[in-house]
Amino acid sequence: MKKIVISVLGQDRPGILAAVSRILFEQDCNIENVHQTILQSEFSGIFIAAIPDEMSVDLLHLELSRSVEPLELHVHVKLLGNNQPDQTFDDSELFVLTARGPDRKGLVAAITEIIARHGANVTNLKAIFRGGDNPSDNIMIYEVDIPAHTDHQTLYSELREKAASLGLEISIQHRRIFEALNRI
Amino acid sequence: MLTEKEILTTLEMVQNEHLDVRTVTLGISLFDCVSDDLERFMANIHGKITRLADNLVSTCDRVGEKYGIPVVNKRISVSPIAVAGALFSPAQMIKIAKILDRAAEDMGVDFIGGFSALVEKGIAKGDRSLIEAIPQALAQTNRVCASVNVASTRAGINMDAVLLMGHTIKQAAALTAEQDGLACAKLCVFANIPEDIPFMAGAYLGIGEADAVINVGVSGPGVVKKAIDRALNSDPDMDLGQLSELIKRTAYKVTRVGELLGGEVAHQLGIRFGVVDLSLAPTPNVGDSVGEIFQSLGLLNIGVPGTTAALALINDAVKKGGAFASSHVGGLSGAFVPVSEDLKISAAVESGHLSIEKLEAMTSVCSVGLDMIPIPGDTSAETLAGIIADEMAIGVINKKTTATRIIPVPGKKAGEQAHFGGLLGGSVILPINNEKGDNLFIRRGGRIPAPIHSLNN
Repeated sequence: MKKIVISVLGQDRPGILAAVSRILFEQDCNIENVHQTILQSEFSGIFIAAIPDEMSVDLLHLELSRSVEPLELHVHVKLLGNNQPDQTFDDSELFVLTARGPDRKGLVAAITEIIARHGANVTNLKAIFRGGDNPSDNIMIYEVDIPAHTDHQTLYSELREKAASLGLEISIQHRRIFEALNRI
Repeated sequence: MLTEKEILTTLEMVQNEHLDVRTVTLGISLFDCVSDDLERFMANIHGKITRLADNLVSTCDRVGEKYGIPVVNKRISVSPIAVAGALFSPAQMIKIAKILDRAAEDMGVDFIGGFSALVEKGIAKGDRSLIEAIPQALAQTNRVCASVNVASTRAGINMDAVLLMGHTIKQAAALTAEQDGLACAKLCVFANIPEDIPFMAGAYLGIGEADAVINVGVSGPGVVKKAIDRALNSDPDMDLGQLSELIKRTAYKVTRVGELLGGEVAHQLGIRFGVVDLSLAPTPNVGDSVGEIFQSLGLLNIGVPGTTAALALINDAVKKGGAFASSHVGGLSGAFVPVSEDLKISAAVESGHLSIEKLEAMTSVCSVGLDMIPIPGDTSAETLAGIIADEMAIGVINKKTTATRIIPVPGKKAGEQAHFGGLLGGSVILPINNEKGDNLFIRRGGRIPAPIHSLNN
């Protein structure tokens, strides 16, 4: 069984998912995962599907491109290897990092550089910058998978130092606290 | 996946509404420390406390940082010393208090509770020694807290003990006259004392408890107040049923924090997790006041007509939310109304809205009692005993915990200011009415029998 990953990008409008999933169905492909998001007016979707062994990936790409052309979308298709490196760590915990403060260029770059250097993996990021100096208008929420062997204290203090130099309020909390407070 | 709203409301509670874990209290049984040799008994006590509590503070700090929720106080409660040290004289009891104080200091905890006696039905030799030692013990130590249970629903009220506590409080105040009678702020007189209170000054480890246990006290009056304000801002016509529901949900959230952090601290220390005590316990900081909640609910001030009803609503809603959020709820769970520790409550006393009589009425529906109330220094021991007896009666008849923590401030009169400092705060001194003359009723002593619990009305 072969697997492919398809990414679809373009201006959001009704019918994008319908168009992509219809082609996959007609080509006897089985969708395993889908995630879509809309940022401002732009649609982005990522699909992982199992396809028949004899199917050509280029052909499928062609079919998909043709079907979404009227919707002015870009499609990218890639074959997934059998031995995908697993980015989740055996022994790690999920933390939520939130930063708020005045908008300026380079905020995401500054924070993610430190996270990356410590070998932690961002599993989800939502950032909204409406501009200006009001902290509640400029928010970054990262979900970060931090391996157990990472030196948490150094990571935290580097993040806090960087946040202070950028005028950001930062908090780093284990994910479980948000679940405990908000969910039954 | 977490939603943005879940994350931002949680942050708001921590950063702007004083959501924290108010105390993690390690209960330690001292019964296996017992010896008829005082030096050995004291060495055993110090050894056991420092062995079990060695990592208490660092573990609480680490877990607090992991979840971004501070554990504000780390404390220790021990078996009632009147039982564990029943053999010893009052002078020896004072030495025991000092070793408890030293152990607390060595472990970096701000209070240690359990210099306690349970005398609701009678006073045994150890109880009498301990009570006699209380004034000096509290005056000569910084961290030791004492409590004496003088009444229960099943035993009635031990009026001999009540009068004895009136005299004890006077002596404790006199010995700490320079600090406005500070020793009395570390002394609670109880009816129906629970065995697992994590909050001071009433914390001790009950006789039926395990060798060591972690109990957690969570608070959050600021969180409740802000939740009410926000809800009324978006819908000013909410009725009291809806507000009760809101307080319940908020109490649920606050309790979950205590359950999560307490459970993790207990796990890391390898000690059993006991209970979460969800009490709205104020501090003398802006935005951390129980008194403010009354104003948010629509009362002009705490103390005006309607206050007792509002407190009943708050107390019940807090209990309901807390009970659902925790696997084991214990301690006092409800709302505290400590006068000197709450900016709004002490301000209400100063503006004349709140009197000791109204406070007494409120204690019939709150979770504790007449708490942190400074009164004139010339109040007699008998009058003090009368106030205690009235408060105990409310607890005994209503099958609830009540307590008094009253400070007769030496050399000061009603209307003057008393200052205790730190978390204990300060307040204007409340007048005591109808106190002149003998109180033969109190002096008669004996025991007021346990009440009947059919024929309720």
